[in-house]
Amino acid sequence: MTPARTFACLSVFLLAACGVDPAPEPVEQIIVRQPDAPPVAIAAADVATAAPTSALVAEGKAAFANCSVCHAVAKDAHNGAGPNLFGIVGKPAGQVAGFAYSDALKASGIIWTAAELDSFIAGPAAKIPGTTMMAGPMVDAAKRQAVIAFLESTNAS
Amino acid sequence: MSKTETGSPEKKGKWTRRAFIGAGVVAGSALVVGVAVRQGNPVDRLNPLLANGKDERLLNAWVKVDADNIVTAVIPHAEMGQGVYTALAQMLADEMDADWNKVRILEAPADMQYVSDSIARDFLAPDLEVPALFEPTVAGGILELAQAMGLQFTGGSYSVRATGQRAMRTAGAAAREMLVAAAASEWQVPAGEITTADSMITHARSGRSAPFSQFALAAAEQSLPARPTLKTPDKYTIMGQPKARHDIPEKVDGRAIFGIDANVPGMKYAAVKAPPVIGATVESMDASTAKTMPGVLQILNMGDFVAVVADGYWQAQQALNSIDTKYGKTDGDGLDQEAIFARYASHLDDAGEDGGDSETEEGDVAKGFADAAVKIEAEYKVPFLAHAAMEPMNCTAWVRDGKCDVWSGHQAPVKARQAAADAAGLPFEDVTYHNAYLGGGFGRRAQGDYIAMATRIAKATGYPVKMIWSREEDTAQDFYRPSATSRFRGGLDKDGRLVSWDNIHTHLFDPKDAPTVPYYKIASHKIRKVDVPMQLRFGPWRSVDHSQHGFFIESFVDELAHAAGKDGYAFRRELLADSPRHLKVLDTAAKMSGWDRPLPDKHGRGIALVPSFGSIVAQVAEVDMSGSKPKVTKVHVAADPGFVINPDGFTAQMESAIAYGLTAALYGDITLASGKVQQSNFHDYPMLRMGEMPAIEVALINGDHQHLGGGGEPGLPPIAPAVTNAIFAATGKRIRELPLAKHDFA
Repeated sequence: MTPARTFACLSVFLLAACGVDPAPEPVEQIIVRQPDAPPVAIAAADVATAAPTSALVAEGKAAFANCSVCHAVAKDAHNGAGPNLFGIVGKPAGQVAGFAYSDALKASGIIWTAAELDSFIAGPAAKIPGTTMMAGPMVDAAKRQAVIAFLESTNAS
Repeated sequence: MSKTETGSPEKKGKWTRRAFIGAGVVAGSALVVGVAVRQGNPVDRLNPLLANGKDERLLNAWVKVDADNIVTAVIPHAEMGQGVYTALAQMLADEMDADWNKVRILEAPADMQYVSDSIARDFLAPDLEVPALFEPTVAGGILELAQAMGLQFTGGSYSVRATGQRAMRTAGAAAREMLVAAAASEWQVPAGEITTADSMITHARSGRSAPFSQFALAAAEQSLPARPTLKTPDKYTIMGQPKARHDIPEKVDGRAIFGIDANVPGMKYAAVKAPPVIGATVESMDASTAKTMPGVLQILNMGDFVAVVADGYWQAQQALNSIDTKYGKTDGDGLDQEAIFARYASHLDDAGEDGGDSETEEGDVAKGFADAAVKIEAEYKVPFLAHAAMEPMNCTAWVRDGKCDVWSGHQAPVKARQAAADAAGLPFEDVTYHNAYLGGGFGRRAQGDYIAMATRIAKATGYPVKMIWSREEDTAQDFYRPSATSRFRGGLDKDGRLVSWDNIHTHLFDPKDAPTVPYYKIASHKIRKVDVPMQLRFGPWRSVDHSQHGFFIESFVDELAHAAGKDGYAFRRELLADSPRHLKVLDTAAKMSGWDRPLPDKHGRGIALVPSFGSIVAQVAEVDMSGSKPKVTKVHVAADPGFVINPDGFTAQMESAIAYGLTAALYGDITLASGKVQQSNFHDYPMLRMGEMPAIEVALINGDHQHLGGGGEPGLPPIAPAVTNAIFAATGKRIRELPLAKHDFA
């Protein structure tokens, strides 16, 4: 970039107010559906086969994919690297049968309310230093809420 | 890993403009220092002018001390892996005597106040001699230019040597002097008896000591020192130290947020395809299949590209792939690779021995050449190159209610904000630009094209959209490093001394000194260029024109050495007789490599020296030519950037520049057929593999602490010629055209 060229550009700026034409609008715009409308074909299949779940629970289930590497969430499922979290909301910490908890978690005295879960997965090692849960912080608050909603939904079933 | 353990500053926060302006008030006990003074300026006299008028808004860097004794450095540059946050914070913290473990880093908002006038000054008018009287006018004028150009810019290896050296150090020193003055006033002791260290203020004689934070408010009441005293290198405690990069922990554990990680509630995804002949228009599209595909929300013909918006990126890309698009005709439709180089050749032929635009001339080249005992000529060619950043181009935009928010990674946030404003048809003030880490910049992310595209899509849909380019799109729609041809004639006297240097080459962009060799002692020289219309759009590529001319010049010097019957190192030593700093760098690299130690058969050593962006770098490459293609086994690097602020970061930049430059030397080749870029992805535009990475050894030289050079680019230019010169040493085969993949070594 030379001084000369820069000055030339500046004069364009001054003369033409930012020096560019308004960005062209679309030549053709095909709107297939609105973003809040459910995807038609897939929604029909969902309705036929799946129990109704809220969008938040569905989002939470999707977000739980990472967690599911260690945690099962099904009645009587085996513990993995982490305990089975079926119906965990409202239960005391460190009580899932057959899982070898860290001393720190066992001694925590926490009841897994939604709020406690939220602060725990926001920073496991910060909340319970000494926990053997390897996951890092889930920083996205909306995602945490969705995951908790998903876990709560298993209490009802 | 906690920050205290790593000894690096705490995680950066993000400022919105509102949060930033409010900070001084909300924090209550904050000292905020803006840099309205610049080292070396006649500010004593000018301070009243600067302080009272609008010129006080010439703020380009800030430091803040809060109630917890945390010192915050606001960095007006983008972090793209080069470690700029850390190096600049080191410069500020050292001058301030701050405790490095209590330093925080914030990236400056995309705001006019952060337009870097230091950069503008170096970038636009490096040699401007300004009579003191006119200083404010010129400074103001340059700032105005910088603002117009959106030069809150990270590139040109400028951050440390311009912003750091002029702004960050001055800000730190000024803050320190204000804190000391406040303490002196409160304690009723002479300021000269007060010492500072580790964010503490101490008066030893009276046994008093206090943290910075205790005097932050009082310090803010002190007048801004007209000319704060900067440290001499013997007083540095943080500069020159290999401090851990503050951005590394979050990049290792995945917390780091890059542009592509933007997450906006309700966000949808766009995939895009622009005409394969760059500059063509979309004449029509058949989206009948795409309309029926899962997840598809909208299909857009934007005139200059096609976009599909869908619930997910993959759905958008798959639907896009199904669209049959017809493109308009352009002048470039028939252009092939061979035609481009033929065009270069014909322009060079037309210029002949005296034509073209003269860049520099000294002595009588014609006579020197006529009298020369030995004359040689050579022609070199380099190809177009793509940037191939690991993170493909992407941008998230949301245009609604007369406002626009844009999230991306960009080397010039103010420029990105302007591009979004233009695309949204909104005033600059109504656009908020959120910059994130860049997954590679290399000059590609200095362009505004991808910001404008995403903003136009978001404007058309009305909801937030994240546009992600496929790798294919990223490769085919780049702003390319230009291909170029360069021709040399050189004359040697009977003693093998270089007496005549005549060079003519195609086009010249930046920096202007790239084709010149003032550090070499040559009796007469003449350097010219011819401008050739280019088909592919040009963009700066790591080290810009030095990437081409480094190869041209250092290859020809090697050919001259051979013609003179001299060793490449010894020949360069003679040429550097009047350039002691360059000579020391050359000697250091040669010594490290054990230059005279014999190598096995089919192995060779090559040396090259290229000064660029204020730093001098010499490299000795060792190659093993026993296989079917060159294997670079070792690179010895000696570098003198004046003073190394962070040896670990600077060394990493030398290493990464070699990885990037060696990739280009071995493989980099963007070619055109029928006007279209033929490469699409990493199978046909390969990167250096782990097994191909040479061992690298770096020696750093602090040759002139008052004139700092850059770190991001200068490691690149020497690698290609060092390798090709080594290949010549091993095989006798002279490489005059890159990449090496074009050549048969079997």
